[in-house]
Amino acid sequence: MAAAARLNRFRGWLPGRTLSLAVLAATLCAAPVLAVAWIALTGETGDYLRHLAGTRLPTYLATSAAVALIAAAGSGLIGTGLGWLMARTDFFGRRTLGWVLILPLAVPAYVAAYAWLDLSHAGGPLQAMTGGLFPTIRGSWGAGLMFALVLYPYVYLLARNAFAAQSADAYNAARTLGAGPLHAFWRTSLPMARPAIAAGLALVVMESLADYGTVSHLGAPTLSIGLIRAWSGAGSLVDAARLSLVLVLVAIFIFGLERAQRSRARNINAAGRHKPAPRLPLTGLTALAAFLACLLPLLLGMIIPLGRLGWLALRTEAASGLAAASLHSLTLAGVTALIAAALGLGTAYALRSRTTIAILAARAAGLGYAVPGAVAAVGVIALLSGTQALIDPAWRALTGEVFPILLTSTGAALVLAYLSRFAAAAISPAETALARVTPSLDGAARTLGATPRRRVWQIHWPLIAAGVTSAGLLVFVEVLKELPATMILRPFNYDTLAIIAHNFASDERLGEAALPSLLIPLVALLPMIFVARYLSRQDR
Amino acid sequence: MTDAQTVLSIRGAEHHYRADHAALAGANLDLYAGRITALLGPSGSGKSTLLRAIAGLERLDTGSIRLGDTIWNNEQTHLPPEARRVGMVFQDYALFPHMTALANVAFGLSGADKKARALAQLEAAELGHRAKAYPHELSGGEQQRVALARALAPQPAVVLLDEPFSGLDRRLRGELRERTVDTLRAARTTALIVTHDAEEAMAVADELALMDAGRIIQTGAPDEVWMEPVSATAAKLLGDVEIIESHISNGQAATPFGAVDAPGLEAGQRVNVLIRPRAFVLTLADHGTFTITRRRSAGPHLTCRFAGDRGEWTAQTPSPASIAVGDRVNVVLDPVYVRVVAV
Repeated sequence: MAAAARLNRFRGWLPGRTLSLAVLAATLCAAPVLAVAWIALTGETGDYLRHLAGTRLPTYLATSAAVALIAAAGSGLIGTGLGWLMARTDFFGRRTLGWVLILPLAVPAYVAAYAWLDLSHAGGPLQAMTGGLFPTIRGSWGAGLMFALVLYPYVYLLARNAFAAQSADAYNAARTLGAGPLHAFWRTSLPMARPAIAAGLALVVMESLADYGTVSHLGAPTLSIGLIRAWSGAGSLVDAARLSLVLVLVAIFIFGLERAQRSRARNINAAGRHKPAPRLPLTGLTALAAFLACLLPLLLGMIIPLGRLGWLALRTEAASGLAAASLHSLTLAGVTALIAAALGLGTAYALRSRTTIAILAARAAGLGYAVPGAVAAVGVIALLSGTQALIDPAWRALTGEVFPILLTSTGAALVLAYLSRFAAAAISPAETALARVTPSLDGAARTLGATPRRRVWQIHWPLIAAGVTSAGLLVFVEVLKELPATMILRPFNYDTLAIIAHNFASDERLGEAALPSLLIPLVALLPMIFVARYLSRQDR
Repeated sequence: MTDAQTVLSIRGAEHHYRADHAALAGANLDLYAGRITALLGPSGSGKSTLLRAIAGLERLDTGSIRLGDTIWNNEQTHLPPEARRVGMVFQDYALFPHMTALANVAFGLSGADKKARALAQLEAAELGHRAKAYPHELSGGEQQRVALARALAPQPAVVLLDEPFSGLDRRLRGELRERTVDTLRAARTTALIVTHDAEEAMAVADELALMDAGRIIQTGAPDEVWMEPVSATAAKLLGDVEIIESHISNGQAATPFGAVDAPGLEAGQRVNVLIRPRAFVLTLADHGTFTITRRRSAGPHLTCRFAGDRGEWTAQTPSPASIAVGDRVNVVLDPVYVRVVAV
């Protein structure tokens, strides 16, 4: 009854055209993933894959698991700790730190990896300072550590919101039943926040598995390295698709886990009205300790690596082509962000109709988030070459010419891959924002005589503008950071900042890699500040 | 009631959310000019759906809603909410969170003086000093008053209130209820208040309408409805009642407590005897027919559970009384609180 009731409630103000457009767009986003699955399941098994299964595949799997585990452990520790400090205590600088702690998301993990490997390699400054005691940051644990340092904000954000939403009652009840503060925290507050923390960890793990730049620089051969090798080395679409499918299945599993945990989190915290727990005021040494605890991840994840790269950049002559690459990065990120924001909003509206097709399309588009960039790229290639093969004979019969190559001639394929990957990042914030427009708000406006246009401009838009903008900006940052899909799909000689940085870094020319590496987080910082402040304002 | 003019009339309203479940199954209801009607029913009885249908937020499958001579709903017509003149107070108040109290109230107004009129409306609700506050800065009671002011500001033909006091704590609720009724009366508004609380319904209503399973089962003045329920369901909606199945013989219905007069019912007719707890008159007797099994004091009266051969019932007797658990009693009925209805 509920679903039908909602449908009925929204019928009348959702223009049919919006619904079908949104569903179409969402389906388009899901298409690359579906294409990968199709090819993987129907294609001929290549020799490469057979060879791989007997040789490197176990290593890829083991490394992936190790990297994901370390990333999860590290980000879980940092994110949960900071989340609790920010939600439950009060100390000097807390308000500012609350959103500043989100900013490391602007730093691509591979950029942190370039800096830290440079700082810690044999004969590097850190080893010189510590007399060779400082370990070189590389391999699985090094990569895991880098992910933990720049991806912990996912855990931090969700944990902070969960701790902040918790009623003091459960904790107090535990105290009256004889549990000490720590014991009570361990038995009540932490378990109640656990679904949220798990959801954050799922995001960290998905991002870690999707990464290419970090693991290739630090020498941790994960599945996505195997995938890129299968594509660029062996050139086999089927093999690449098969490997992709393994990644996709793992990702879908984690994705499902995340969804389930999120709805559990909602149930746990939906326990009616309650008083939020009062903040514990910290003073003196404890306040200082808390302050330093917040500063540490910022230092390690952002300030030190960016400082090192800045220092390197100043001592090296800037490579040519940076201006063009910056322009390319900005264009791709900007265009994708605009489309994604519009798509996210459209899909969120379509979702309110509660029609099965809208839900299916939105969830399928959301799947892209669980799909590594390289897989999205392979999917787009599969999709476009399939389309080409379909059109080509007819085209030739008509014009006598070969159908123009869809694939690499424009950035369109790249944008499609980005959208496929990041549509979810735009859909779910738009959904959250639109959730503030409750059915009764609409009803109230209607009974007060508001026309549909007036409802959208005076009620909906003011309530969702910040959320939709922040969704677009988040996609902007993600595209700016994206490496593997860009590597596979970029038009010939079309460099972005990420590509230039990666190319120099793989050639061990870190001095020249420094400036483009630095430019990415610097450009991303401003939008990230907007996003961070929005996310921090929202839960207050 | 007969002298009051019918403002809004609903006939045969049907609405299905799901094919096999009717939220409204042919509801009929009239609202009278300047009177407050309380719509009482258990949750899931279709009250809110009916309210939303009147507002135009749900579309009727069949049936009609008309305001005077204007058709709001019938098989061909569905006037959109914005074209009806209804004011609605939502259960969660639905205040626009990004607008001040004043802007909320002014939303449904037009013209150059709309700010001034909105402010006047707020002042009437004694909230003039909170005009610049945002909804989250207002207390629950203040939010409710702003929501009511917003609904009344455009001078609607009908005001609909969906469980308007359910979000408030008990003490505040009584006070706000009085205030709301006063406000509605001062505005001479035709109002429909949905509630599932019998006491609340009786307290606010000029007219009481009982709803069950998508139908209006009884309407009338609150006292009248309370005294003369048309069915067991209607009686239960308005408070505790003991229901004894019986049949008519010699113009009476037999009960374990003696026969009850049942005028106008045919011999052999199966009936329900509806007995309010206060109808039971208990007298202590050494060899009484019934035994007290439980006793609970509730201030002005005493609630006793007593058992006999044919069942166990609950009585309400004036307190204090020297009745204890285990005592034997005889029981007779006070006919004022007993009704016999056909099944």
